[in-house]
Amino acid sequence: MSRTNLAHRLQHPTHFTYSSRTVVFALTARKMLRSGVLWGCIFGISVYSSAISYTSIYKTQAERAALAAAYGLNEATSALFGPAPGLQTVAGFTAFKVSMTLMIIGALWGLLSITRLLRGEEDSGRWELLLSGQTTRKVATAQVLGGLAVGVIALWALTAVITILTGLDSKVDIGATSALYFALAMVATAVMFVAVGALTSQLGGTRRQAASYAAIFLGLCYAVRMIADAGVGVHGLIWLSPLGWVEELRPLTDPNPLALLPIIGFTVVVASVAVSLAGRRDVADSTLPHRVKANGRFFLLSSSIGLAFRMVRPAVVGWWVAMAVSGLLYGLVAKSAGSTISGSSISNVLSKLGARGAGAEAVLGVCFLVMAMLVTFIGAGQLSAARGEEADGRLDNVLVSPKSRTSWLGERLTVAVSVLMVGAFEAGIFAWLGTASQNAGVGFAKLLESGVNLIPPTLVILGVGVLTFGIRPRMTSIVTYALLGWSLLVVIVGDIGAMSHWILDTSVFHQMALAPSVSPNWEANGVMVGVGIACAICGGVAFKLRDLQHE
Amino acid sequence: MGSMAIRTDSLTKRYGGVTALDGLDLEVERGEVVGYLGPNGAGKTTTIRLLLGLIQPTEGRAEIFGVDCHRQPVEVHRHLSYVSGESNLWPSLTGAETLYLLGRLHGEVDENYQQELIDRFDLDPSKKVRAYSRGNRQKIVLIGALMARPELLLLDEPTSGLDPLMERAFRLCIREARDRGQTIFLSSHIMSEVEALCDRVGIVRDGKLIEMGTLTQMRHLSALAVEATFDGVIPNLSNVPGVTVTEADGQVVRCQVQGSVEPLLRVLATAGVTRLVSREPSLEEMFLAHYGAGDPSGELDHVAH
Ligand SMILES: Nc1ncnc2c1ncn2[C@@H]1O[C@H](COP(=O)(O)OP(=O)(O)O)[C@@H](O)[C@H]1O
Ligand SMILES: [Mg+2]
Repeated sequence: MSRTNLAHRLQHPTHFTYSSRTVVFALTARKMLRSGVLWGCIFGISVYSSAISYTSIYKTQAERAALAAAYGLNEATSALFGPAPGLQTVAGFTAFKVSMTLMIIGALWGLLSITRLLRGEEDSGRWELLLSGQTTRKVATAQVLGGLAVGVIALWALTAVITILTGLDSKVDIGATSALYFALAMVATAVMFVAVGALTSQLGGTRRQAASYAAIFLGLCYAVRMIADAGVGVHGLIWLSPLGWVEELRPLTDPNPLALLPIIGFTVVVASVAVSLAGRRDVADSTLPHRVKANGRFFLLSSSIGLAFRMVRPAVVGWWVAMAVSGLLYGLVAKSAGSTISGSSISNVLSKLGARGAGAEAVLGVCFLVMAMLVTFIGAGQLSAARGEEADGRLDNVLVSPKSRTSWLGERLTVAVSVLMVGAFEAGIFAWLGTASQNAGVGFAKLLESGVNLIPPTLVILGVGVLTFGIRPRMTSIVTYALLGWSLLVVIVGDIGAMSHWILDTSVFHQMALAPSVSPNWEANGVMVGVGIACAICGGVAFKLRDLQHE
Repeated sequence: MGSMAIRTDSLTKRYGGVTALDGLDLEVERGEVVGYLGPNGAGKTTTIRLLLGLIQPTEGRAEIFGVDCHRQPVEVHRHLSYVSGESNLWPSLTGAETLYLLGRLHGEVDENYQQELIDRFDLDPSKKVRAYSRGNRQKIVLIGALMARPELLLLDEPTSGLDPLMERAFRLCIREARDRGQTIFLSSHIMSEVEALCDRVGIVRDGKLIEMGTLTQMRHLSALAVEATFDGVIPNLSNVPGVTVTEADGQVVRCQVQGSVEPLLRVLATAGVTRLVSREPSLEEMFLAHYGAGDPSGELDHVAH
């Protein structure tokens, strides 16, 4: 006993430097600092790339004015990405270009981190271990929130520093104060959704439930601000949505620091309620009533593939709804968004991303890129779930029955591929429903084909994920999501135009032709499917030969 | 099919620099109940996971009923059930759903026996796994393994979290399984459990099998247990040849005697003993004698001087 303890201390010399009173804070802060720095770099680089790309594409004042005139008052884009009041300046364009994306990513980062650290730790039983130390539930929850604050500060600091450095360029010219305020706006959703996630962690019975509740709230916030910005005369609604408050901060164009008040108030109230609920409820229980007893429902439980479907069902249904809604929304706005494009310099921006043509099809080309990302998220989530079964030891129960590893993995991949294919088909079908209702004149076959076109990039990421799962199972999620994030970053940053082919080629989304604005590149798609399958086979062989590894 | 239920041949597992299991040679006959004892971190779980083919051996090989555990795990799994001490189940399923699933995964279930086990272990199968206590989760895993009536049961600290009443139900089930001719390999750190159930016992420590034999053989190998109560000053027994002090509690000293008891009797005769009990040592005492000697606690030192 004492020997193991000593060995442990020698291997992890930092472990006994934490005071037992603040250990939860210290552990959380260490994890979140890393994460905040990483995402801060990603935030900063996206700011840098959009500012620089603007200065290289729109060189003259006339071009910039044309862009602002064509695009600035477009209700469809304003509904999707927020209003674009300052397109004639670098700062205004940059704020428009990155704001909505970073706001959403920030919110997801916040809610996923906090639910993992609060509810996830509780699900795994580690939380009880911490609580048996010198701390109470309430204090420990507050400490986790404090640790996350460290991450948020890192996120803010890096975003700010890179924005300031970008602003030093005389062509960009963003002042330090504006940059600091802008970075604050970009992390505001992260702050609010950390609080929301802390609250849902007390309400839900599991981490998945907690994260789903928070994500549903995020979806509602987005929908409310979307209606407010759609130019149908209800802009006041913007004050009902936390995302709307951030929008009202109007960084880099027309700053309105008063909008910080609801943000701060909301965060403080929600976080306090979360902490006080944490002190009141039992560990591993939820505040909302949830069913403890249930009549046995044995459907899908006769086989391991049925079990896999049943376990991923709640998440999958959520994704399918998200795909249907986004397909429909994009379809609905494509025509009006596209009508301002023809002949204007905005087609320049789209063409830099690889979208050709004019009108609705050009817009849809870029919309399908966003949906490709969603489909990839579905695939990555399935693989994480499979690794989760192994990490938590549940897979042991399946693999000690007469069931081979290869066939189990084959089943999980069958589930993953079916689920993401349904998502991809939905993208095509619902986009068509949307466009058809607006008489945008884009054919059903063409949109369905564009949906199918989303599958190959996902298969590459899934394949690489399976390979990682075979070789370094503990890295499965990290590698899969890192590749996804990288691919995304490259296509976003790629519109600078100066990026080397070698780097561009590493992005699966760059390999994908932006159908329906251009025809799918079936040759490239074939190669991607081949790479995906080859990686998956190698991963499967490695999985067969390795140890099962618990977390 | 070979006649041995389990056979390993210098089975070794290393994790980087750590040798979790070191050249294990083990043979278990069909129908035997074998106990596998060792302190935490001794290598018990590693052994069982190697037998199941869940982890790959660094060296050596293992067979179950003559089938190689690593080349043909699926074939091996047809004949066995496994109970892990950690009971990792699906939190969103109910007990009944979990048992149904485990049954379907294994293929064969004796429905009547399943119901009997549920009654015996006093399990309410309508609750969700997330709402069960640790002991109740363990019951589900146990029922799941027993209800398949496999030829071999691999049990890794199966009674963790069970209360004494359920521990008794468990022992009854194991005896029945033995009477039915099933082979049982039971890893445990609870001596009394192993002592009550097993024909043969192996003791593992630091990845090495250091003893293997029937309970009788082990007792023979080991010493006589002596418990002496003193009314005055306690003499220093640890210097007496052949004597190992295992426990000292106030005026009572428990020790083990290897070889002749004469030297001990000579010391005791002059020391004012009010009570003297001598009997065959329990497994627990043998265990303590084995490991206690290498790691004398301050308490024992204090008594000795
Ligand atoms: N996956 C692993 N990685 C590194 N070391 C391990 C791993 N699994 C077990 N060990 C080490 O192997 C030794 C034996 O462990 P184990 O078989 O679990 O012991 P027991 O079940 O007897 O308590 C321990 O020292 C443990 O730390
Ligand atoms: Mg163990």
